[in-house]
Amino acid sequence: MSVRKNSSFLLFLVLISYALVSGDAVNVTASDSADTLTQSSSLNPAAAAVVLVNSPVFKKPDVDSPFSLNLLSSFPEDEEISVYCNDLLHIFGQRYVSYVNCSVNSARPVKVCQNCFSSYGSLTEIYLNISSDQMSPGNASCRESLLRSDRLMLVYLLYSNLKDIWSKSDCANCVTKGFQSLTNDTLYFMDSVNQTLTCFEKHKEGNHTELCKSCKSTYKGLNELYSRMETNKTMCIDIEDVMNVTRKLWSKSYNCSFPREETVPVIAVSSFMLFLPIIFYLSSFLHSEQKKRKLIHPKRARSYNTLMNIQDKLS
Amino acid sequence: MANITKKVSWSSRADESGATAEGTPLLNGSEQPRPSRQLSGSGGIFQIGRLSTVDLEEEMTSEEESLRGRPKEIPHNEKLLSLKFESLDYDNIENQLFLEEERRMSYMGFRCLEISRWVVCGLIGFLTGLIACFIDIAVEQLAGYKYQVVKTNIEKFTEVGGLSISLILWAVLNSAIVMMGAIIVAFFEPIAAGSGIPQIKCYLNGVKIPRVVRLKTLVVKVCGVICSVVGGLAVGKEGPMIHSGAVVAAGVSQGRSTSLKRDFKIFEYFRRDTEKRDFVSAGAAAGVSAAFGAPVGGVLFSLEEGASFWNQMLTWRIFFASMISTFTLNFFLSIYNNNPGDLSNPGLINFGRFESGSVEYNLYEIPLFILMGAVGGLLGALFNKLNYWLTIFRIRYVHRPCLQVMEAMLVAAVTAAVSFTMIYFSNDCQPLGPEHKEEYPLQLFCADGEYNSMATAFFNTPERSVRSLFHTQPGTYNPWTLGLFTITYFFLACWTYGLAVSAGVFIPSLLIGAAWGRLFGILLASITPDGSIWADPGKYALIGAAAQLGGIVRMTLSLTVIMVEATGNVTYGLPIMLVLMTAKIVGDYFAEGLYDIHIKLQSVPFLHWERPPPLIG
Repeated sequence: MSVRKNSSFLLFLVLISYALVSGDAVNVTASDSADTLTQSSSLNPAAAAVVLVNSPVFKKPDVDSPFSLNLLSSFPEDEEISVYCNDLLHIFGQRYVSYVNCSVNSARPVKVCQNCFSSYGSLTEIYLNISSDQMSPGNASCRESLLRSDRLMLVYLLYSNLKDIWSKSDCANCVTKGFQSLTNDTLYFMDSVNQTLTCFEKHKEGNHTELCKSCKSTYKGLNELYSRMETNKTMCIDIEDVMNVTRKLWSKSYNCSFPREETVPVIAVSSFMLFLPIIFYLSSFLHSEQKKRKLIHPKRARSYNTLMNIQDKLS
Repeated sequence: MANITKKVSWSSRADESGATAEGTPLLNGSEQPRPSRQLSGSGGIFQIGRLSTVDLEEEMTSEEESLRGRPKEIPHNEKLLSLKFESLDYDNIENQLFLEEERRMSYMGFRCLEISRWVVCGLIGFLTGLIACFIDIAVEQLAGYKYQVVKTNIEKFTEVGGLSISLILWAVLNSAIVMMGAIIVAFFEPIAAGSGIPQIKCYLNGVKIPRVVRLKTLVVKVCGVICSVVGGLAVGKEGPMIHSGAVVAAGVSQGRSTSLKRDFKIFEYFRRDTEKRDFVSAGAAAGVSAAFGAPVGGVLFSLEEGASFWNQMLTWRIFFASMISTFTLNFFLSIYNNNPGDLSNPGLINFGRFESGSVEYNLYEIPLFILMGAVGGLLGALFNKLNYWLTIFRIRYVHRPCLQVMEAMLVAAVTAAVSFTMIYFSNDCQPLGPEHKEEYPLQLFCADGEYNSMATAFFNTPERSVRSLFHTQPGTYNPWTLGLFTITYFFLACWTYGLAVSAGVFIPSLLIGAAWGRLFGILLASITPDGSIWADPGKYALIGAAAQLGGIVRMTLSLTVIMVEATGNVTYGLPIMLVLMTAKIVGDYFAEGLYDIHIKLQSVPFLHWERPPPLIG
């Protein structure tokens, strides 16, 4: 059996199987029925190409036709069970899209925790449903069929990407358990940020020194609150970002950081200290007695006329 | 057996008492010449002299002729040999008594001896690790406390004005702490000054340095090193660890302590110089291994710097001691850090892990590394020359203990003042990355949320600064900061080494090298059109650190292994080796290694492996 012949045969098999399965399979992967036709037509050549390229691999285990036919007949049965899972997947997709939409919209300035925690909560909920151990009505575990049945494990991959984003953003610190609402700390912090910003807004016109003076207490309170939250580890990216922006406003736009104004005393004190060692070394050079060593020529070494010894002592 | 023991211990005790008797009058300046000792001393040196090469003799001749007309009192210089030092007996005296004693030893006795050698080595490793752990924790706690106090003070005064008061507070704190360290060293045990590596090198090569392996020395050394590191001097705690390990080894293996005047009546067989030397080399290895987390490096250090005698079983025992030492340190530090059983703190200095992705190097970088090695050799030679002149001045003029203490205090105060000024005038503000959590960031005049990046280098223990230079992302330091830091720290470190405080030179050298290495990396990235190939300045910081250290101490084999082990990355073996070779070749052309200079300046009759090169002209 030549490679070419075998491969063309396999191509044929796959085409048939695809046609048979497509009804279910496409429904599973792409839920919108409108897309079904275009997808299947676009996927067909791709599948064929894959098979063509891979044909030696297919040949390798020396598959004979009856086995392939068995496989063909078993395919739809497996998929048929997962109608329930299919629904789950559908919901998962919808919630996924809504969460991603939400986060993209609140990417800058960062408000992912405040705006999107509820959609993330519902996404986690559905994922938990999928990955839970309980059997679906059709007596098949969706965890097996949806999460682990192929190399790519797309559902798992998608979810874990979002989970990474969520944990990187530390949003869990700002949201109550069960994704009900933002924590009181967060709300309080946002409130004081707003106060500070309104203060900035009020004094924005004219001289900035005025602003620095009158908003100092609010800003300082905010700073202290922030550092308290930092030590308590109750911060999320929203808080960090809004604090960053406020700090930048305060110190860069309005120039309210501390000025460097004590240059003279600092230079005076440090140059005084730099002079101390010079005085020390000079005085010890002039006043301290120089340590002298006493030379001794050993008797036995003299015969060699090469050696000397020194008695080590103070003069 | 009893006979032998008695004889050996008699001779050794006589030596020790002789050494102290000799040491004391020398310090007090007594005029008593000791004819008998002089004879034996000259005998010892005479022997060494005869063993030396023709060249050395020629050098001596010219020296003597130039001195012939002069009075016998001369200022101290490097070409003198002191009578204070005698030689150790590394040969067993094979007389009748000894042979009979050896023959009388039973099979069991022989086996027990073997086992007790291992036990002693294990104990050496264990105790050295404990000492390292103690030093580490003490330094961390005390330095943390000090920096916290200064930091709150600076923060307070940044707001209301009066930063010069913070400067004075910092300087006074530093000097007070250093004063304690200097007092115990200068008044109680002057031999504990410095890193101790030159002394141990001499000891292992058969020169008996008085009081170098006493318990008192150990205590002074440990307290002194804690004081000097906490006091903010430009020093490290790694060199003294080697000395500490050696003292522990000498004490444990002899089963008695001269300082405590106690004899525990154990390990009496080991009370002779041959056995003691073997254990001391194990102790030195254990010290290196605890200091750098480099057990193999420790063994090779003993081989390179020390032991004049070497065999397989000894090597294996020394390796055992090193391993035990680093493991002990590891274990106790893991308990201290509240995760017992996590054995990932192998050494006092932890270079941190270099991730394999960020540190890959390419063939075309090798010439650059070699160039850096040459720069390291040049800078190292400059360092050594400056330090040589300074040390001569110190020996001639600053020899009274109270003056030494004052000098150390002044250095501490100036270090604080210089650091403060640098921090004060630095305009380099960087946002704080998440990895900086445990340090002491200073904001000063930076925008809120940003921190003074000069302060991350100066307002910190030197080890932490080294780690931050190796590992922080590109862009953390700007070139001016690094350049200024290198220059200041170079002179500070050079000035500090040789003070009457116990402190090592490893970490300052690494820090200087890491700073200019990083600078080099940044400049490379900025002059090439697409900077991405040279992206990681941490890599160049590592190479620079190796080059600088190699240029100063001129160790080769052991330093390569130590660096490789401390970074935990074998792929760096080749560049580090090349760099150290270049640094040594270039440096040797201009000046000797720092340790050799100090051995010479202490007038130790030390014989090198190689003959010195013929004099020019």
